[in-house]
Amino acid sequence: MKQIESRHWIFGGLFVIVIITMVLNINLEVRVTPETDRFYACLDSLPAGATVIVSFDHEASSLPEIRPLALAVLRHAFSRDLKLVGTALLAEGTAVGYRLMTQTADEYGKTYGEDYVYLGFKPQYIAAILSMGESIPDTYPEDYLGQPYRDYEMLVDVENYDDIAAVISIADGSLTTHWIEYGASRYNIRIVAAVTAAMMTTYDPYLASGQLYAMFGGLRGATEYEQLIGIGGSGKRGMLAQSAAHVYVMVLIIAGNIIYFRTRRRKGSAS
Amino acid sequence: MDWSVIIAGLLTLAIFSFLYRDNPVYKMAESLLIGVSIGYFLVITWSNTLMDLLFVPLVQDAKWPLVLPLALGLMMFGRFHKRTASLSRIPIAILIGSGAGVAIPAMLEARTLRQITATVGPLLSESGQPDWSVIVVLTGVITTLAYFYFSREHKGVLGGVAKGGTYFLMIFFGTTFGYTVMSRMSTLIGRVEFLLSDFVRLAQ
Repeated sequence: MKQIESRHWIFGGLFVIVIITMVLNINLEVRVTPETDRFYACLDSLPAGATVIVSFDHEASSLPEIRPLALAVLRHAFSRDLKLVGTALLAEGTAVGYRLMTQTADEYGKTYGEDYVYLGFKPQYIAAILSMGESIPDTYPEDYLGQPYRDYEMLVDVENYDDIAAVISIADGSLTTHWIEYGASRYNIRIVAAVTAAMMTTYDPYLASGQLYAMFGGLRGATEYEQLIGIGGSGKRGMLAQSAAHVYVMVLIIAGNIIYFRTRRRKGSAS
Repeated sequence: MDWSVIIAGLLTLAIFSFLYRDNPVYKMAESLLIGVSIGYFLVITWSNTLMDLLFVPLVQDAKWPLVLPLALGLMMFGRFHKRTASLSRIPIAILIGSGAGVAIPAMLEARTLRQITATVGPLLSESGQPDWSVIVVLTGVITTLAYFYFSREHKGVLGGVAKGGTYFLMIFFGTTFGYTVMSRMSTLIGRVEFLLSDFVRLAQ
């Protein structure tokens, strides 16, 4: 049988720490950063009835991180009575996005076709973004359920980006970049993004230059947003586990460095 | 309990089993994930792309200009045989040409001009005080560019400036690494939350 190595202890320790902190279920208050606040203010300032595109630009593998972000944004949007048009530029995000939208809509008693519509997946994301700038009904003649676009009352006046208040890109990769480069640059549409933590530094330059209007991300971002809308979710529940896991990693890094330098000194004195 | 939750819980545990060692249970779960992903992608591509955008409009609505993309698409398969391989160059040329035509103006605007405009700001604020954020950004950009300037040996002033650039790069890599660790932890926390709340119902 294979021997238990140090990495098994490290992974095992992390697993135990996360489980214990999750079972404790202590809510950790976090300070809301200006970036998350700006995203919140952007949605909050839109008038009720304004149409917003929610683009699920992610794959299924990032769902644990994407779900709290998406739920927080969708809850805020539905509570503000915004009209949501869902779309997905990656195939795997299609079903995930539809599920999240319908689940949140049910929470707020929203009706499909009146308060929100899910247009579904469109291949070739650059072409899709550019095509929507010319005509959304030509890009999506039918919605995800196969109903003609023109059948929906809420979409009658929605022809292109001129009729859209903002685009919310919920992404785990570089898709938001394309929204910025082809949507914002060319059609002047306001882009806001909810992204995974790993993608935050990628979008920071766009945020600094103002090409990306607002952005928040990661489990921490979700927790901040949940705090702003006053609804607890998995972001808030996971925050203690996140912090404990980070402390665990830092302790391991420090311990690793101490062991390394002690070993080096011992080898040096031996020779 | 919902069967889908039981299956998802067992598959999550199967994936976690890799932390100890590679094993057949993990391999089965991994293969299932890849198979389902590819299957889903194929179905979506078939229905949303080939059927909706090509075959249905072409056959039902008699949109004959669509024969052109169909022909170009079929030419791609020419690569599978030596004698027809050159045919595939035509659609590839069109694809690259149109792609570059669309991308170059957008990239130039969004990635170059707008980012340069945002980088070069007044060093003094309206009150006459130094604007430190602009100074730091400008210093970072200049020193980092100096680091990536390989036409001259990094000696003397250039060497010193380039060394400054490495510190900015290290800060960037450190931040990115920190965020990536945070992202991976979030994924783990998400799955543990699912196991605890939905699968074993220990935490609600």
